[in-house]
Amino acid sequence: MPKAAKKTTFKTRFPAARIKKIMRVDDEVGKVAATTPILISKAVELFLQSLIDEACKEARDSRSKKVTISHIKDVVQGKDSFDFLRDKINSLPQTDVHEGDVSPVKNKKKEREQ
Amino acid sequence: MEEDDLGDAGGPSGGADEELSLPKATMQKLIQEMMPKDLQVSKEARELITECCVEFIHLLSSEANDVCEREQRKTISGDHVIKALKDLGFEDYAPEVEAVQKEHEKEIKQQRERKVNRLQDSGLSEEALLKQQEELFAQAKAKMEQQLGGSQSQSQVEQSQE
Repeated sequence: MPKAAKKTTFKTRFPAARIKKIMRVDDEVGKVAATTPILISKAVELFLQSLIDEACKEARDSRSKKVTISHIKDVVQGKDSFDFLRDKINSLPQTDVHEGDVSPVKNKKKEREQ
Repeated sequence: MEEDDLGDAGGPSGGADEELSLPKATMQKLIQEMMPKDLQVSKEARELITECCVEFIHLLSSEANDVCEREQRKTISGDHVIKALKDLGFEDYAPEVEAVQKEHEKEIKQQRERKVNRLQDSGLSEEALLKQQEELFAQAKAKMEQQLGGSQSQSQVEQSQE
């Protein structure tokens, strides 16, 4: 896929052009300065780290070796600033809550449970 | 401060909006880096995490857009993004994002200076360079006219021979 000619060599973890496309899904978003997707990329990085840290806490609390949707659900419900994710979490089908158990990979833990 | 719009990269537009997400490989790599070595993430959780990140971008851009409108500006700037973070309760992200803003501004400035320096290093002022350009144009023009003049005289010779 052709990339837009980059005016700067500033390295971001997420592609600036993709971030801008995602922003543009909102019709109200008009012109965007070149530095904006770069700053948003950094903010997303920090958000991702935060989400992962909290999810890992939940996993450890439930003595699980694997972070699952259920843990993420708990994180979203427990943190005010993650309010914006409530609808998404609530609209998840119930079966996914236990999806950590239906992994096709057979491992020792599963055998032990059986 | 640059206000020009980033051009859109090539790719499908229109109906594909809802499927727009962050690159899977990038997400996988980042999540791997950020996870502690003793825990794993389920595939479904990874996908949900990615969706949450996209949702975060929507949230942040929407808020930054509001900030921009309140300030009666037309272009969403880095300052608007930082203000939006604070308004949304993510003020602890602000210091690092501001640091990136400073670095980026510095880099832009350096690139501009490099451009100017290249001009200066050529040892000529802008005036002199323009003059040089004009001279080159004049030379090229003269050469072209010479060639045209040459071919004309050639055809004259051919005509007289018939």
